[in-house]
Amino acid sequence: MEQPLIETKNLKKYFQTSEGNLHAVDGINLKIFKGKTLGVVGESGCGKSTLGRTIIRLLEATEGEVLFKGNNILDYGFEEMLNIRKDMQIIFQDPYASLNPRMTVSEIIVEPIKVSRIITNNNKINKKVSELMDTVGLAKRLVNSYPHELDGGRRQRIGIARALALNPEFIICDEPVSALDVSIQAQILNLMMDLQDEEGYTYMFITHDLSVVKHISDEIMVMYLGQAIEQASSDELFENPLHPYTQALLGAILVPNLSRRNENKEIVRGEVTNPISPKPGCRFAPRCPYFKEDCLGQEIEYKEVDKGHFVSCVLYNK
Amino acid sequence: MAERLLEIKDLNVVYETDESVVHAVNNLNLVINKGETLGLVGETGAGKTTAALSIMKLLPDKTGIIKRGEIGLENINITIATKYDKRLLRGNVISMIFQDPMTSLNPTLTVEYQIAEVLALHKKDMKKAELSKRVDEILEMVGLPPSRKHEYPHQFSGGMKQRVVIAIALACEPKLLLADEPTTALDVTIQAQILKLMKELKEKLDTAMLLITHDLGVVAEICDKVAIMYAGQIIEQGMIEDIFESKYHHPYTEGLFDAIPDLSKKTKRLNPVEGLMPDPTDLPTGCFFHVRCRKCMDICKTKEPEIKWTNADKTHLIKCHLFNDNK
Ligand SMILES: Nc1ncnc2c1ncn2[C@@H]1O[C@H](COP(=O)(O)OP(=O)(O)OP(=O)(O)O)[C@@H](O)[C@H]1O
Ligand SMILES: Nc1ncnc2c1ncn2[C@@H]1O[C@H](COP(=O)(O)OP(=O)(O)OP(=O)(O)O)[C@@H](O)[C@H]1O
Ligand code: SF4
Ligand SMILES: [Mg+2]
Ligand SMILES: [Mg+2]
Repeated sequence: MEQPLIETKNLKKYFQTSEGNLHAVDGINLKIFKGKTLGVVGESGCGKSTLGRTIIRLLEATEGEVLFKGNNILDYGFEEMLNIRKDMQIIFQDPYASLNPRMTVSEIIVEPIKVSRIITNNNKINKKVSELMDTVGLAKRLVNSYPHELDGGRRQRIGIARALALNPEFIICDEPVSALDVSIQAQILNLMMDLQDEEGYTYMFITHDLSVVKHISDEIMVMYLGQAIEQASSDELFENPLHPYTQALLGAILVPNLSRRNENKEIVRGEVTNPISPKPGCRFAPRCPYFKEDCLGQEIEYKEVDKGHFVSCVLYNK
Repeated sequence: MAERLLEIKDLNVVYETDESVVHAVNNLNLVINKGETLGLVGETGAGKTTAALSIMKLLPDKTGIIKRGEIGLENINITIATKYDKRLLRGNVISMIFQDPMTSLNPTLTVEYQIAEVLALHKKDMKKAELSKRVDEILEMVGLPPSRKHEYPHQFSGGMKQRVVIAIALACEPKLLLADEPTTALDVTIQAQILKLMKELKEKLDTAMLLITHDLGVVAEICDKVAIMYAGQIIEQGMIEDIFESKYHHPYTEGLFDAIPDLSKKTKRLNPVEGLMPDPTDLPTGCFFHVRCRKCMDICKTKEPEIKWTNADKTHLIKCHLFNDNK
């Protein structure tokens, strides 16, 4: 069988807090094949960004493995890590906090190239910067601007240009288009998909926009409080969502027309489980309409109920 | 007759930097009545945040300048109001949810402290125990476990920080809520919960809202009126039905709707408005959209179109030569 470009095995990231261990990422197993896109969705705070950051070692994992082309990069030393850093990039969720306010646009884009010393000739660097700005649609006059002078969309383009600077193989996209208007969003998504076709980029795409995730992903993983609760191909997940949380999520999508305006929409109610030292069992249980006793007390199997369709819920655990 | 709360007349805002002058807001006119929710949609960089910051009097010192126009709040022209009025007008009358949650959160204070501080300001007679209980309720309302209130903002995810900011803004019970992309960082189930809270605030206190968003699904769900901006100008404005159900639209509005990925169809490529946004330091002549417009005519290149009513009820405005009689 083909080897995945990226694979995680029982990956965990706990944060220590004064109240105990916060299980931000709690045993994630995933595989992403070269040239494919894995979409990651889930409740705000469920650990999507932490998962992304742990995979590329911006955060140190608490437990588990991250395999890049079959090698566990969590065992890599500083030098080895430096060598593969350029192959794995991240586009951040927050275009405000992630850009250094004291650097100009060109300095920000050029930084990874300088750090990795892939190109050293200044003229070539400048040429690369203007190519990158072109690719993401930033006007040349902005080379010497500072991030605070720009609107959210232009700032996000800087983040994308910066991530593309080293021609990485794997890009984690943490809400790369959520700050953009739908037209520029469409331009950027087309651009990312073209780059994937041409260069074979592999993406892990985190977003709250379900129509975007459906459009761009081959596979989608749904997370809830640190765990994967469902995964399937993009079409299958939308046609046949199994987990009650996935169903609630798809049911809450707002459509850009007035057909559902006056409908009384179901709101997911109930207490939110605290991720600090959670008890065994389904973490969605306190809010689940199908709750029964078996849901709590024991871990629930992440089961392949149909080819390539995984779900973790007692309803499917016969 | 609806009671006017906010009226913006002919607002022009620029940013003057060393090298250039950015024309961020050009001849903006807007009215929001009590209890009304106006959706402000438009392209990235169109000037939506700048318009909101002008209302808050929070434009950056020295660089951000109101060149012309009036902003009337409860019939007071706040562009000339004094410092004292400023304070009075913010806090009690207006609150704002910023696009970037860290604008309003203090990284060195716990989440509990920051919510309690605002509550204490607004409800002066509240006792300590009562305050603490209210903080728990407010956190629950936005889907955060109250047991996490002793944490600091950096321990929260992006969307969790945004929810704290929303919680604080709603707790102020303002007459006018300026919400800049409030739910963009949230998943759709939490978003549904927040939108419901906003609707309740509107029903209970007649709160008016200016909701800045790129999400036309959110607009369809909660707005009464919609204004669409392009390059600092409003190019189309109307009641929710005008925007979602009329046959007539500005070509940019049509482009926006066409660019949304359709859940019910499988397409290889999305369909954006071709071309790049105009440079706000060097805006085109004629219609600002003409360089990208599929319906561009000769007149569009030289003459700026007027904004005109397109229906007999006078609710739906479009700024485009296709709807000007002299085309
Ligand atoms: N530096 C940190 N210290 C302590 N806890 C943290 C830290 N960073 C994140 N967390 C916690 O880890 C959990 C997961 O956070 P994460 O940012 O990964 O969520 P997310 O799924 O990306 O959410 P969002 O959709 O809102 O961006 C949250 O409970 C958060 O409070
Ligand atoms: N402090 C500043 N100095 C110079 N130019 C600025 C400043 N703030 C904003 N601008 C420019 O003013 C224009 C309008 O920006 P604004 O932030 O109001 O747009 P927006 O509609 O809110 O966009 P977005 O949807 O991306 O948030 C943009 O061209 C932006 O680059
Ligand atoms: S005025 Fe002309 S260029 Fe502008 S939107 Fe209308 S048709 Fe297009
Ligand atoms: Mg995140
Ligand atoms: Mg903005």
